[in-house]
Amino acid sequence: MRYILPLFIILILPPPASQADWKEQFEKEFLARPWAGSQVQKDVCIECHSSDMMKPETRDIPRKWETSWHSQNGISCHNCHGGDPKDAENAMSPERGFVGTPKYAQVPEFCGKCHVGILKNFLESGHGQALKSSGKGPNCVTCHGSHGIQKANINIINEKLCTRCHSYERVKIMKQALFLTENKMNEIEKNLKALKAQGVFTEEEEKNHFSTQAQFRTLFHTEDVSLVRNRTDEFIKKLDQSNVKIGKTFDELHFRRNFSAFLMVIFAGMAIGFWLLSKNPRE
Amino acid sequence: MWVRIKNWLEIRIGLDELIRTHLTQYRVPRNINILYTLGFVALVIFSVQVITGFFLLVYYIPYSEMAFKSVQDIMSTVPYGWLFRQMHVVGSSLMVVMVFLHALAVFFMGSYKKPRELTWIIGTFLLLITITFCLSGYLLPWSQLSYWATTIATTIPTAFPYFGEIVAKLMKGSEQVSGITLNRFFALHVMLLPLIILVLVGLHIFLVRRIGISSPPFGKSPEAAIAWTEYRHESHPDGSPFFPDFVLKETIMVMVVCAVMFFFITFLPTLLLPEEANIPADPFKTPAHIKPEWYFLAPYQMLKIIPNKFLGISLQLIILLVFILWPLLDTKEEINILKRPRLCVFFFFSLILWIVFTIWGKYS
Repeated sequence: MRYILPLFIILILPPPASQADWKEQFEKEFLARPWAGSQVQKDVCIECHSSDMMKPETRDIPRKWETSWHSQNGISCHNCHGGDPKDAENAMSPERGFVGTPKYAQVPEFCGKCHVGILKNFLESGHGQALKSSGKGPNCVTCHGSHGIQKANINIINEKLCTRCHSYERVKIMKQALFLTENKMNEIEKNLKALKAQGVFTEEEEKNHFSTQAQFRTLFHTEDVSLVRNRTDEFIKKLDQSNVKIGKTFDELHFRRNFSAFLMVIFAGMAIGFWLLSKNPRE
Repeated sequence: MWVRIKNWLEIRIGLDELIRTHLTQYRVPRNINILYTLGFVALVIFSVQVITGFFLLVYYIPYSEMAFKSVQDIMSTVPYGWLFRQMHVVGSSLMVVMVFLHALAVFFMGSYKKPRELTWIIGTFLLLITITFCLSGYLLPWSQLSYWATTIATTIPTAFPYFGEIVAKLMKGSEQVSGITLNRFFALHVMLLPLIILVLVGLHIFLVRRIGISSPPFGKSPEAAIAWTEYRHESHPDGSPFFPDFVLKETIMVMVVCAVMFFFITFLPTLLLPEEANIPADPFKTPAHIKPEWYFLAPYQMLKIIPNKFLGISLQLIILLVFILWPLLDTKEEINILKRPRLCVFFFFSLILWIVFTIWGKYS
């Protein structure tokens, strides 16, 4: 046995010439992946726009995007601007669907490729009408920003931003009408996150919530306060139903914790009991 | 009624004699300690795995399109399904811990030495089978966590040039982890591995009973001092009875381990089922911070830091071989590890190294 093992080691260690590519293959398969600590191949848009060839304001785009809500949801450059992120030579080729930067008045249509419902309501609103008629009204980027875009929330509606163009009086009324529903939506979102962190599968509930949220946000792009007020009850009802479901799930988790704690105490108690018994087993 | 059943059995199988020879008059060393109960604890956890596994099997659908949904149904809809799944998940890790601790205890007590070499070798195979059980079961929920952890685990053999690719393909059944892999792992998990483990456990227990329980090396045992020139049963005539003395020790340990299991289920329910375990498998979306299961972290980290991957995996194979064949390599007669400082240092150094690599792998 003492000789067999070293012999085995001698036989096994020198890599055979016939398998010369094993190392490259393995490194490609195993090490060039995120789990091995290396980064996945970046797309060429990001590589170029991060390089020193770019002007400082353009060079900043990838960094801003990386912090964005789009980035967190896997929406990359080519999803909005088109092109081929894997082919440096044809990355900006119109044949590959590259559309580049939209003109100011075309921004709503540019974003509306994905945000379809919001586009419709925005175009019918005062903001949309002003943009279409004079080309000078606000577009999506005016309020939401572009590459560093964050998750939409009620705080986007604020005095500093809105008073750049008009007074805050009417906006304030709209914000008040939105406040209750927005708060409920935030609460549900927080609870869903908490459930998810506790190992509950929340995908279905998240989808429902996302749909309700999208419908509601579509609504307030109309800038129609009375419409928002009229439909608030409908949304509150939906959100309350979600809240009841979430509450039940929390109760269930509470029960599970208590039940397994009870079993833990039972077993710990039995361990102590048997230990005492083992002190004098023949009695 | 009870007496009548007892008499009925007594006439047919000689129950009294059976109890006498295998329980009350069966002797174990007087100085036997709690470390000797770990094998039995591992066996009890295996039984827990079989029972909970059976209940999970009733509701689980081994098809990639349905697997994740069926597991989520077990967790949310099936009455007490969450309990069975949590027990199965925590139980699998506890089983690895117990089998591993059992191996360490046997090593430390020198119980692998002549005439128990075969018992050790079968035991190491039982450890490997336990890990294979965990690996195959890990994929079954078909979540992001299980999918990508399995992808890592099945990629590791490809570092080996001779048959690594073949092994990886045999495991996966395709280029990537897919529905075929799920079917293979499922068949392995519920059919082949249970059969193998039952045979090996049977052999292991047979050898333990046939040769007799070894004496701890830290006390005086005249029986252990006799040279093993021919087969004999180590009977410990002056020892304590297996029942109730030793059985009580075993029961205490089983209760403690069950309490630990429910401690994890109560206070750390997401330790082994983190957020990625609740996201369906997506072969096109690699999670950024995925890692293999905790018991693979040490070899995974070792593979990462050794520049030559072939050397890395060969080294691991050699370590494994040395581990399996250790009783044949260690021919010194001294059983007490404390009287062999070099072996003692080697034992603790290897153990610390394994722990360091595991922690390093986790946070690297």
